[in-house]
Amino acid sequence: MEKLKRELKEQIIELLNLEDIKVSDIGDDTALFGESLGLDSIDALELIVLMENGYGIELANPEEGKDIFATINSMADYISKNKK
Amino acid sequence: MYINACSTISHQNSFKNENWINELTLLNDESELITPNYKEFITPTALRRMSKIIKMSLACGKDCIEQSGIENPDAIIVGTGLGCLADTEKFLDNSLTIKGLIPPTSFIQSTHNTIAGQISLALKNHNYNVTHTQNSLSFEHALIDSILCLNEEDSNILVGSADEAIPLLGEIIDNLGFEKISKHMTSGASFFMLSNNKTNTSKAKLIDSYTVGLNNSDPKKVINEFLEQNNTSLNNIDLVLSNSFGSINISEIEELFNSTKVTPVEQYTGYHLTNAAFSMHLATETLNQDSTIKRILIYNTLNNSNIGFTLLQSLEA
Repeated sequence: MEKLKRELKEQIIELLNLEDIKVSDIGDDTALFGESLGLDSIDALELIVLMENGYGIELANPEEGKDIFATINSMADYISKNKK
Repeated sequence: MYINACSTISHQNSFKNENWINELTLLNDESELITPNYKEFITPTALRRMSKIIKMSLACGKDCIEQSGIENPDAIIVGTGLGCLADTEKFLDNSLTIKGLIPPTSFIQSTHNTIAGQISLALKNHNYNVTHTQNSLSFEHALIDSILCLNEEDSNILVGSADEAIPLLGEIIDNLGFEKISKHMTSGASFFMLSNNKTNTSKAKLIDSYTVGLNNSDPKKVINEFLEQNNTSLNNIDLVLSNSFGSINISEIEELFNSTKVTPVEQYTGYHLTNAAFSMHLATETLNQDSTIKRILIYNTLNNSNIGFTLLQSLEA
């Protein structure tokens, strides 16, 4: 699980061009959206693509996205339960 | 109408430097785009996604807002010849190489209207917002739209243009047989605050902008007709700023304008489809700083069968 969390942080930094952010700056429970990391709706679309292309997970219900993408912990938990 | 602010990012030291017209240097193979610290104009969250053309445009647009004190212009009008090339290339590359869903950011930002859209988002401006794409006459069409709006009910318009060079563009130009030009395919952005009202920041007057397809017409006749329409003549033009694509010999352009001095602008700005906007900034500052020059004609012949004219006049004339 720790390996997956680190992998997610690295992917998010690269995918979303978070130039001034390091892996160590993103806590497992840091809120990804809102003021902490400042991600927005376009970033959410990028994360949906990451889930599908990187882990084979298609989000059937977009409403779930808010909870799944809340933190690194919630993303890692969802991936580990649904990865194909 | 009055030009109450102007801002340019180019291969000259033109950004936030009114004296740049006296520091012009000829482009060479080592010349680079001179850019400001974009973090002073754009939030880090927005900046991380932006390509060069959007960063340049937003910085110039915000600079015009600051210079003019007009926080909420009645319209934002942009001209671009090739639009957001970097994002377009990235999107197309993703389409060809990625199996599955295509990442959305480069698609969203590849559209031409991204430039005007991002400026409106940054300014929280909900007024008329449009982008004109008419090849080498994109800037002139943006100006014509601005003039029409100012002649109706608008008072202040943020208008400008931008184009960006990417390595692939140079390769394409090379393959088309223009090796000498491909080295000087450049990026640039120029924005202006046009207003019906003269203020203490006014620098010059925009008299008219016009485009014409020559269709075998005599260029000299077309030039004279444009000037006549604006109640002037070649004798009253103190300087011509020309933009051509290397296929025209400068002596051919000089011959059209009799004894009026002609300055080819591409030697300072390089080649991009909206470098006539650079000319307009150069003309504006020249009229503002040199009292011996009263009228400047911008003669855009990047495409030598579709010509653009823009006429500027000093505040005193």
